[in-house]
Order: sequence, then structure tokens, then C-alpha cells
Amino acid sequence: MRVLDIAIKDLRLMLSDKKALAIMIMMPIILTSILSFALGGTFTSEDSIGKTKIAVVKKYNIATEIEDFRYSLSNGIVSENISKSDLEKISKGVEELSIEKIFFKDFLDNKDIKEFLEYEIVREDEALKLLNSKKISAIVILPENFIYDMYTNFLTPFRNKVEIKVITHPDMNFKGRIVNGIMESFTDMTSTLIVGKNVLIETALEEDVIDKVFNNMNDVIDDITVNLSNNSPEIVYESLNGRNPISSFSYYSAAMTSMFILFSAGYGGKSLLEEKDNITYQRMIIAGVSRWKILVGKFFTILAFTLIQIFVMVTFSTFVLKANWGNIYIVTIISILAAFAVAGLGTLIAVLTYKVGNYKMTNIFESGIIQVMAFVGGSFIPIDVLPKFIRFLSNLTINGLALNSYFRIMMGYGIGEILKYLALLVLIGIGLMFISIYLFREKERYYYVERVDAENYETA
Amino acid sequence: MTLLEIRNLKKYFKNVKAVDDISFRVNKGEIFGLLGPNGAGKSTTISMISTLIKPTSGEILYKGESIVKKPSIIQKKLGVVPQDIALYPDLTGYNNLKFWGHSYGLRGKLLNKRIDEVSEIIGLKDKLKKKVNEYSGGMKRRLNIGAALLHKPELLIMDEPTVGIDPQSRNHILDTVLKLNKQGMTIIYTSHYMEEVEYVCSRISIMDNGKIIAMGTKDELIDIIKGQKKISLKFDEFSEDVVEKIKGIESVKDAYILDDEIIISTENGETIFKDIITEVSTTNSSITSIDIQKPNLETVFLHLTGKSLRD
Repeated sequence: MRVLDIAIKDLRLMLSDKKALAIMIMMPIILTSILSFALGGTFTSEDSIGKTKIAVVKKYNIATEIEDFRYSLSNGIVSENISKSDLEKISKGVEELSIEKIFFKDFLDNKDIKEFLEYEIVREDEALKLLNSKKISAIVILPENFIYDMYTNFLTPFRNKVEIKVITHPDMNFKGRIVNGIMESFTDMTSTLIVGKNVLIETALEEDVIDKVFNNMNDVIDDITVNLSNNSPEIVYESLNGRNPISSFSYYSAAMTSMFILFSAGYGGKSLLEEKDNITYQRMIIAGVSRWKILVGKFFTILAFTLIQIFVMVTFSTFVLKANWGNIYIVTIISILAAFAVAGLGTLIAVLTYKVGNYKMTNIFESGIIQVMAFVGGSFIPIDVLPKFIRFLSNLTINGLALNSYFRIMMGYGIGEILKYLALLVLIGIGLMFISIYLFREKERYYYVERVDAENYETA
Repeated sequence: MTLLEIRNLKKYFKNVKAVDDISFRVNKGEIFGLLGPNGAGKSTTISMISTLIKPTSGEILYKGESIVKKPSIIQKKLGVVPQDIALYPDLTGYNNLKFWGHSYGLRGKLLNKRIDEVSEIIGLKDKLKKKVNEYSGGMKRRLNIGAALLHKPELLIMDEPTVGIDPQSRNHILDTVLKLNKQGMTIIYTSHYMEEVEYVCSRISIMDNGKIIAMGTKDELIDIIKGQKKISLKFDEFSEDVVEKIKGIESVKDAYILDDEIIISTENGETIFKDIITEVSTTNSSITSIDIQKPNLETVFLHLTGKSLRD
């Protein structure tokens, strides 16, 4: 008998088991559809990005802070280091340089940014309400002393720390990250200008031409505004690391596929003991079929069924849910290696279940361990929002490795970027198969005989 | 010609003597019966002959070669019909036969031809497209036999092949056994049904507690209890002490209750009736019928072990 004969027979049995098909084929399709629609807000796609609405909260008082700045020019540490005539020129600069104009008109209303961001200025409590109701994706808080600090930074040789706070909604993780990025680009640009201005002032002091600099304060101010207007942050709408965005449909198609292939391991894990219980295992042994062939047959059955599962999921999600799996050749390679690892796991469970002689182990695996692996592997919640430790653990699970690989291919990475995941899948598959062979090497007693005879015998 | 020889075979499980030093020979072309109650050691003996388990000690020779040392000698020559239905219930009858045919290395046209022939023998030719879980108990048993016939085995072992089926299917199976034997197949048939073994087997070995307690043809075995007769008494009702009273009669060797009857073993079938009626009349029992039976294997087993085959 060939291994293939055993695998074909087992595959026929699996495909005739309606309950198993419902769990392993229908369930992932249904769950993917439900989760993709329900948790779509966590993701984005090319079609669904649209404009990101934000609220801006002004915690400063512009009039008071301008007054404070003017006061510090004449009384504070600034006045001690700058001549009176220069201070007058700076004071004049305050009238010509509007910080609010720089932030709102020159930056947020910049053509490029306006394509992505739409803002309204509200009170903090209103902003929080809007965010909780997901009417906006983030809140940008301009802190107290924002105006004062910005004037200090732009017009004096000193530099105060300005911290713009961004609050995002956890369900709109992707858009939140965009807002964060835009705000960071604002602070980066202003920092560049401030550093440039400080270098200019320091050089002018060294060269004793500071008067010239302050005489040309108008030009400095113009440079600042022109720079901010022209150098808007470069926003290219790509996902992490500049790759393709992933829709919830794509993500959950891969996530559910990676999770539900584990059920093949559980199902296949029962088959060896079932053969023994049905006496078909003993019948094969009597016919001279090697027990190793039977074991390898189980391995290939699980491998083949897992591939069928993946094929159905990829086809369904591509054509019905419009999921984008990326390069289909690489997806095929990932699928074969993931199925290989699942087959190794299923074979190990089969051997353990066979040795223990009951189905407790497979039941625990199906009802508990798969759920834990699914969570750790990122099948329920995207892995990048989970703690670092769990992200590490995900690389030790078959579903985590498969999902990470699919995920990267969806984003447009090449096979080189996922080689480590693929290598781990192969290692896991080989390792588990070796353990299975080691545990299966001892011959066992057949309870076919014990059940019939031993119970009724006199004790020796 | 001796096809199979068992020499001083023992199988001990942890604390159980399942088979305890048995020896016998099976000749080519005969139907050899292993008769004994559940737990007698029949299935363990068969499991060792089938190379499923190794004996604790002893030797099993197939055509003079040890199958304990080299199981492959017998594996492709042997067909085993297990006591349990060893089939895949979710596959069709055809796919089951195909798979078991593959297990013996049959393929292609030869396999299809054998499936055809075997399904004819077992009377399931027009039922092969059905899934096994849609079969009746008798049909399953027949397919179970069919799966062991595909490779035309020289030696067929049938372990309680009629357990739990209707009389019609049982008769079909017994006739099949005789038909296969006529075609030259050697068969080892185990059962705890005395009538079946009497009907099909040319030589019988009676087993109990892992030992062979008697062996021979049916007539040879019955000769062991030559002169003994079995009388069955039926009652309207009988009191508990009636068996003890009957046992007290001098010529009664044994008496026991079997279902609603009392079975008596005696060497004096003609003159004992008067004594029985006298003893029964002293109890609150009333006899409705008396039947004298010829000795059979049940009587032999009772004589040898003091218990019924159905115990």
C-alpha cells in the first residue's frame, strides 16, 4: 500500500464529514466576513481613506501670551542680552509674525495637507465627545504658552520646548497614526527653521553683525512663513514603512485562514486513535502495512486538507470580499509551508492522542490552545497593537508566522522580507515531525485483544 | 498437509494469562473451529496468528516457517475478519473494498475484478455505492468479510463473524464460509455459538481460560461424553430448591437453569424420568414438557468445564 492511498482515503473521510467541513471551511468564511465588516474602522484601504477629520484645541490665550512675550522682551532674561534697539525690532516682529497664521493658515490649510486633513477648532470637552463618538479621528492639543514659546523660538536666540499633543481613537489606529505623523512633521519643520535662525544669530554675534540681522528681521520673518508654506510635510498615503494599505477584509481573510488551519491539526490529531478504535489500524497492520506509512499518510492528509482550506479561503476572500493577497506565487509558497507546519503539529497531536488513548488532548487543543494561539498570533486583534512580548510570541506560533508572512506580502514586500518566517515554519514542521516519530517508535499493545479477552481472564 | 502449526503458545498480559500453553495444527483445506466462551483466549490466539501481537513464548509456523520471527511470511497470504466491523462507515462499500484491496497491493483492473467477484460472494453487488453507515448490521458483517477476501488468501481467519446479526445474514455468512472452503480456502473459525461451529467446522478446538481443553472432530468430541444425555424440563413455574433436588438424584451428573428451562445431564435417559417427577412433585413446581436431547458440543463443554458456553 502506498502512503498516497492512505492519504486519499483519509481525505475522502474528512471531506465527507459535514461537521468538520462546517467548522474548518464555513466558519472561517463567516467569521472573516463578520469581523471585516465589524472592525473595518481599525483599518483602511485605498478606497476608504477619505479625509481625516480632527479637532484642534487651543489651550493658550493668545492676547495674554503676546503680552507676556512683550513683557519678557523688556524685563526678562531676553532684555539683558539684546540691545534696546534690537528689542524694538523684535517687538515689531511680533506684530508681523502671526503664530496662529503659521499653524492654521500656512500649515493646516496648506494645499497638500488639506487633501488629507479637515479640522475644526473646538473646546477640549467637545473634542473628546467627538472623538468618543468617532466623528473625528484625533484631537490635536496646542498647549498653554504655545504662542509665547513659539515667539521665543522664532524671534529670540532662546529655545523653549513646544509639545503638541495628539489623542487618537483606538478603533481608528491608522488615521490616528497619520495625524501624529503630520504633527511631527510640523514640529520637525519649525525646529529646522529655529535651529537655522539660532545658527544665524550665533554667527552674527561672533562676526559682530547682529545689528544687520535684527535690521533685517522682516526678511527673517518672511523666510519663516515662506518656508512653512512651501515646505509642507510630504504625505504619501502608504501603510507601514511605505507599503500598500491593508483593508479589514484582507487582514481578516489572512487572520482567519491562519487560525482555522490549526483546526486541521486538531481534526487530523484524532484520526490515528479513531483508526485504532475502529480496528482499521489493526487491520492495516495485519495486511502488512507499515505503521510508519500510516503515520506519514496522516501527515499528508493534514497537509492536503490544510491546503484545501487555504485555497477556499483565498478564492472566496479574493472574489467575494475583494481581499488583496498580493503576489499569488509567494502566497502559494507561504501556504505550502504553513500547511507543512500544521501537518507536523497535527501528526504530533495524533501520536500523543494515540498514546494516551483518549481524545482529551485534541479537545483541549481545539477548545483552548487554538484560541490562545489565535490571540497571540494576531488572528483576533492586529498584532501591531498588542504588547511587544506578545508580538515576540507570535513568531513562535504557526498561525502567527503564517499571518505575518501573508500580511507582508499583502503590503507589497518581497519574499526576501519573509524568509525568516518561512524558515521558522519549515523548522517547526520538521521539528514536530521528528518528535512525532520519536514518540511513535515504541510498539504498543492493541486493546482490541485486551478489551475482548483480558478483562475476563483469571489473573496470572 | 499442515498449513499452520501452533506450538506451546503463551500470551501473558501484565497480570493476565490470556493464552496459556496451547498447541494445535490446522491442515490445508479444512475449517478449523475455535470454540469457547467470551474471554476464553480465542481472539488473543488469532491476534498472534495475525502477527498483530507477539507471543510471550511459543512458536507459530506457517508452512513450516516461523511467523513470529518473520511476520511477512503470512501477512499477504492471510485474510482476517475481525470480530468488530473494521471498516470506514463514512465511505461507500466500493471505496472500502478499494482501500482494503490497496492494502494488499491490488490495483487497477485486477482490483476491480476482485471487487466484482467478492461483492458477488458476499451478496452486496448492487449495494456498493451506498455508504457503509447506511448498511444494516448484516450487510456490514458481509462487507467486513469481503474486505478480507480481496487478495484470495490461503488462510482465512474469521473471529466471531456473526455476532449481533439477524438469522438470515447469519445463514448467508455460514454458507459463504462453506462455499469458500469448497474452493480450497483454509479457514479458522472462532465462535461462542456452538451450532455454528458444529455446522461449518471439520475439526474443533474447545478453549477455556486460555487453555485448549479438548480437540477433535465433532464426533470425536461428543464421544468424550459417550452415553450421556441432556434432558430439558420446562415449567409453568418452579421453586428455587428444585435444581438442588434434581441434583440429588443419583444418576444426574449435573443440572442448571438456562433461561426458563432446567437442563439435566445424565447417563440414564430412560429410567430417570420417574425419579425426576417424584423429586419435582415434592416442590411447588409443575412441569409442562420434558425433552431428551442428543449430546452436542454444549454438553461437551458443560461436561469439561462445568459451565455453559454462554456463561
